[in-house]
Amino acid sequence: MKSSIKSIIVLVGICTVMTVLLALVNSITAPIIQENQNAAANAALLEVMPEGKNFEQVDISAYELPATVTQAHKEEGGGFVIQLTTTGYGSDFVIICGVRADGTISGAKCLSSTETLGKEKTYGENFTDKNAEQVAAVETISGATKTTQAYKNAVNDAINAAIILAGGSVDIRTEEEILADNLAAALPAGEGKFTKLFIVEVIEGIDAVYTADNGKGSVCVVGETFVGIDETGKALTDDTALAAKLEAQMQIITASEQTPVDLTAYEGIHKNIVSVSKTATGNYVLEVKGAGYGITGGDEYHPASGEYIFIRVSMTPQGKIIDTLTVSQKETDNIGSVCADEKFYGQFDGKTQADYDSVEGISGATLTTKGYKQAILRCFEAVAILEGGVANEE
Amino acid sequence: MKNNSNLGILLKGIIKENPVLVLILGTCPTLATTTNVVGAFGMGIAALTVLVCSNMLISLLRKIIPETVRIPCYIVIIAGFVTIVEMIVHAYFPALYDMLGVYLALITVNCIILGRAEMFAGKNSVGKSALDGLGMGIGFTLALVAMSTVREVLGNASFAGIPIPFMEPFKIEIMTKAPGGMLVYGLLIALVFVITRGKAPLKKSFSCAGCPSAGHCTASGACNTEVKEEQAQ
Repeated sequence: MKSSIKSIIVLVGICTVMTVLLALVNSITAPIIQENQNAAANAALLEVMPEGKNFEQVDISAYELPATVTQAHKEEGGGFVIQLTTTGYGSDFVIICGVRADGTISGAKCLSSTETLGKEKTYGENFTDKNAEQVAAVETISGATKTTQAYKNAVNDAINAAIILAGGSVDIRTEEEILADNLAAALPAGEGKFTKLFIVEVIEGIDAVYTADNGKGSVCVVGETFVGIDETGKALTDDTALAAKLEAQMQIITASEQTPVDLTAYEGIHKNIVSVSKTATGNYVLEVKGAGYGITGGDEYHPASGEYIFIRVSMTPQGKIIDTLTVSQKETDNIGSVCADEKFYGQFDGKTQADYDSVEGISGATLTTKGYKQAILRCFEAVAILEGGVANEE
Repeated sequence: MKNNSNLGILLKGIIKENPVLVLILGTCPTLATTTNVVGAFGMGIAALTVLVCSNMLISLLRKIIPETVRIPCYIVIIAGFVTIVEMIVHAYFPALYDMLGVYLALITVNCIILGRAEMFAGKNSVGKSALDGLGMGIGFTLALVAMSTVREVLGNASFAGIPIPFMEPFKIEIMTKAPGGMLVYGLLIALVFVITRGKAPLKKSFSCAGCPSAGHCTASGACNTEVKEEQAQ
């Protein structure tokens, strides 16, 4: 018993002495270590803002900044160094960007990335001394579009973040958020949930129609204006002329009925045309499948997913596209899958067989684009046959 | 044995009882930190500092520390000194700190230090323990520097970071990798064996007389029985 008490006392004593010793040494070394680490961190900051002095970290949680911003340092002269994490071709990629007090870029640098091409290593140099407008004009690098576009967006975010941190205000909403906000404002009854309506009739002066998911009406987009149409078909606007016009157009849209067309009665319609229906006004709605990435002979299965791209096209009897929609696709993520983006398929609206091929392809997804355009061509051909003409030979 | 003279205590660690090349202790940092001379030298000096300090303190406290808790006491003392060394290196030699990484903290469990505490410092005076620590530390550092010199010159065509241009075409990349480390380690052990033949204690007989620590061991055959038991199993 006595010996174990002695053991405890000795061990505790040694521990206490060592702890005091450690605390002493730590009190001397800790500030030096901290200083060294700050110097190392500031070295990165100085690289993108060589004129910067006395960097001080800003608590970014106190501001509403673009989502990509992960860190910010304020500099004596009113400039900011912003660190951002964005997504390039595949995974996270970290960019540090210096923004001067006058809004120009003092430097941008990629800190880490797993991008494939290495173009991001030097791309930041293009932004030096540019302001927001000039940044937008910096060209993306062909073959590394996604990476360089992400880089540009990040630099843009950094400029916006600097304005916000300096006390200004910027609209940092994404395009989707702006659209959602506009829709919700035009038709509050829609409770913020809207789906874009696939248009099958020729309508004048309306760019797009969104219907509320809860059935409480729809919203017409006319240029920059969003006008709500309630469930009774009444336009919610004070502009009576516009209201009358929209109400009339909406009548056409809602009254439209489709009857299926029996394709077996026609010869020469390509087998990839899945189904066709005709509206009362004579327009056609075609469901077509397009072969995507990996096609060699024209219409083989997608080798990776075994899935076609399913596309819906509405067309006038004269062969002019009214609306296009990618219903489903399993193309390569972030490359071919862009064909499901309205920015891509929306380009076909209003096109005819004469000019559909001028639609800009998807960068890095030539074969997907090719398959998509081929499917659109088959729709033109099908409508020509259904209207009694003969399809153009390929 | 003549090991008990002060000079003998200091010198035995360098070749005759070199901790790395004869006692085969501390092999982990030996293999890991000898890819370049600077790192190896830093590691050696760090271990030397800890060795001398812990040896002295343990020797000072050897009459107070009860037999039953001696290992925890040694570990606390050693870990304390290692942490102190680590903080100092971190503050004043950040480049070396980054180079050594986790191996700096791992000095705590380095067999050489605990081994010297157990075999020597726990039984000898403060002065002799300090000399023993110094000798062993120098031996450790020299072994590391010798090994890293071979590995860096042959594997990277440089010495302490300074390039040796005429070696560049003859670079043997594997020397900087683990297999090269093993190879050099084995050759150095063989070399030391040849140099000390007849003088170094041979381990062919597992008796106390053949033990490198025989000169100051007070266990009088206690570990011998353990060895025999192990062999019987």
